[in-house]
Amino acid sequence: MHSIPAIPIEYLLLVGSILVLLSIIIAKVSDSLGLPMLLLFIAIGMLAGSEGIGGIYFDNARAAQSIGIVALIFILFAGGFDTKWSSVRPVVWQAVGLSTLGVFLTALSVGIFTSYLFGFSPLEGFLLGSVVSSTDAAAVFAVLRSRNISLKGNIRSLLELESGSNDPMAVFLTIGAIQLITANRTSPLGIVTQFILQMGIGVMFGLMTGHVMVLALNRLKIWFEGIYPVMVLAFVAFTYGAATLTGGSGFLAVYVAGLVAGNSEFVQKKSLLRFFDGFAWLSQIGMFLTLGLLVFPSQVMAVMGIGLLVSVFLMFVARPLGVFLTLSFSRNGWRDKAFVSWVGLRGAVPIVLAIFPLIAGLPGARMLFNLVFFIVLTSALLQGWSVPIVARLLKVDAPLEPKQRHPIEFAPTEGINADLVDFIVPYDSTVVGRSIVELGLPQDTLVVLIGRDDEYIVPSGGTILREGDTLLVLASAESLPEVRATLQNVKPHHMT
Amino acid sequence: MKISDILQDEFVSTKLQGKTKEEVLNSVIDLLKGSKKIKDLDKVREAIFEREKIMSTGVGKGFAIPHGKTDAVSDIVAAFAVTSEPVDFQSLDGEPVRLLFLLVGRDNMVGPHIKLLSRISRLMNKDEFRKKLLTAKSSSEIVQFFKDEEISYFDI
Repeated sequence: MHSIPAIPIEYLLLVGSILVLLSIIIAKVSDSLGLPMLLLFIAIGMLAGSEGIGGIYFDNARAAQSIGIVALIFILFAGGFDTKWSSVRPVVWQAVGLSTLGVFLTALSVGIFTSYLFGFSPLEGFLLGSVVSSTDAAAVFAVLRSRNISLKGNIRSLLELESGSNDPMAVFLTIGAIQLITANRTSPLGIVTQFILQMGIGVMFGLMTGHVMVLALNRLKIWFEGIYPVMVLAFVAFTYGAATLTGGSGFLAVYVAGLVAGNSEFVQKKSLLRFFDGFAWLSQIGMFLTLGLLVFPSQVMAVMGIGLLVSVFLMFVARPLGVFLTLSFSRNGWRDKAFVSWVGLRGAVPIVLAIFPLIAGLPGARMLFNLVFFIVLTSALLQGWSVPIVARLLKVDAPLEPKQRHPIEFAPTEGINADLVDFIVPYDSTVVGRSIVELGLPQDTLVVLIGRDDEYIVPSGGTILREGDTLLVLASAESLPEVRATLQNVKPHHMT
Repeated sequence: MKISDILQDEFVSTKLQGKTKEEVLNSVIDLLKGSKKIKDLDKVREAIFEREKIMSTGVGKGFAIPHGKTDAVSDIVAAFAVTSEPVDFQSLDGEPVRLLFLLVGRDNMVGPHIKLLSRISRLMNKDEFRKKLLTAKSSSEIVQFFKDEEISYFDI
């Protein structure tokens, strides 16, 4: 075991920041090449590593695991936070099926395949299967959201919900397999009760902390806006820690907490969504860079043969088997199921999970790690890259909606019975030369912005109106006539 | 964004037909028929009339600025017209309208829309400029007037 060498902090910060910046710049290129970004981040990590041009020696599995877990917590939370419950509700049972039974079937079939073909013991095979059994939320979200892809019906919601919720099962199976191998003390029945306990406690904690967080955000009147993200960060970490220590699934808990929070109304929600989007990106980049550093490419190349076989089996047999069996009662057609099978992108979770046996000191753990690494690379490369094409081939894609960012946006939301309306101050209106407070506009209306000549003015109550000003007014449908009446008041002596 | 950038000769008329507000509105919208930026003229019409319902865009002094936002256009589109006869536009000062500036913006592109509206309403508030436009003989002359006026007024 290597202890952490005493590297000066300024060196760590310099190298870390350079790697992150490099990743971002190269991510820009990857977008035009259509490559999944995670591959590039891993590649940069590998290049920076001891076998690449960077020459950084890093083999601290424990540190990598910690970084991986922390990163996953926030990626999962951000994923849940950004998921609309209304859009995933119709697919919730299918997703739960895929995240439990589907994952289990994938793990089992990979286990049988490897023990049959490569002489792994059944438990070792099952361990490998468990490690690679979950699809990656970060990869799936990235492929479905950032790439030019638009899907018909509810497949997208199903895939996002599945990828966000199936990691706890993979974690559970992996840890269970390791326990069976090392101690042999757990009975199959024990595993089932353990499973129910873990998931139950996980969901419970997620629901609880999610609600408490929303309540706290709304009730505590914090003076500093900057505190809000800090508070949520702490809540997320608390959720994971508390759920895990009480025997629940921490990953499931943070995902559920994210779902609860993301689907509630609270102050600062928009800025928090943005913050966590950014934080999830940082987590992803940091995690993949670390994993890229941790691996030794020459060792991965050594297991290429088996890796390729397992990878192909996973993509074309194990995953489709899990999907088709689990969804056999769903109303989705075979095209949908085939597409869902293909978006079985593996990502960071398998690699992080592959560190577990390493730390447990299982024999052959290094080999397993390298094998998993190779499987993830091939899945990300082949499946990640081809998702848009496969969507088109299976005819599950929908026409793209143009997306644009605008300086001022407003979308009527539930609970806001108002809309933005523009008014032009008539040349002869009595409001000319008066301030906004003097107008006596209805209580529930707000002058948001004034266009004057070539400028925007963010008005205050004292802003004096001029003729020809364009007012952007937030008003409810009921108060519109009153706003109109106010502005339409014409100075009588000006009549011509 | 400048008015003269978005206003082209082909979308300008010096003798717009119509006796009622509805007729002139339809005529000025029809000027945009040939525009490649418009995906669905009926949707544009709908948006313009919808906005007119909230409050007349006849801002006074014989000028009206019908406008609206819709996803049926790919970019901001403009048309300008001098009507052949004065038309009652339910303007606030009661003065019949002879000058019409039509502005159609993309849904959600609130910023540029607001800027252009305020710029147009500012320019049209000048008595001499309105007089000049009323005497214009051709579409190209009107576009030129806008160009000159923008330069002298906004110093660009």
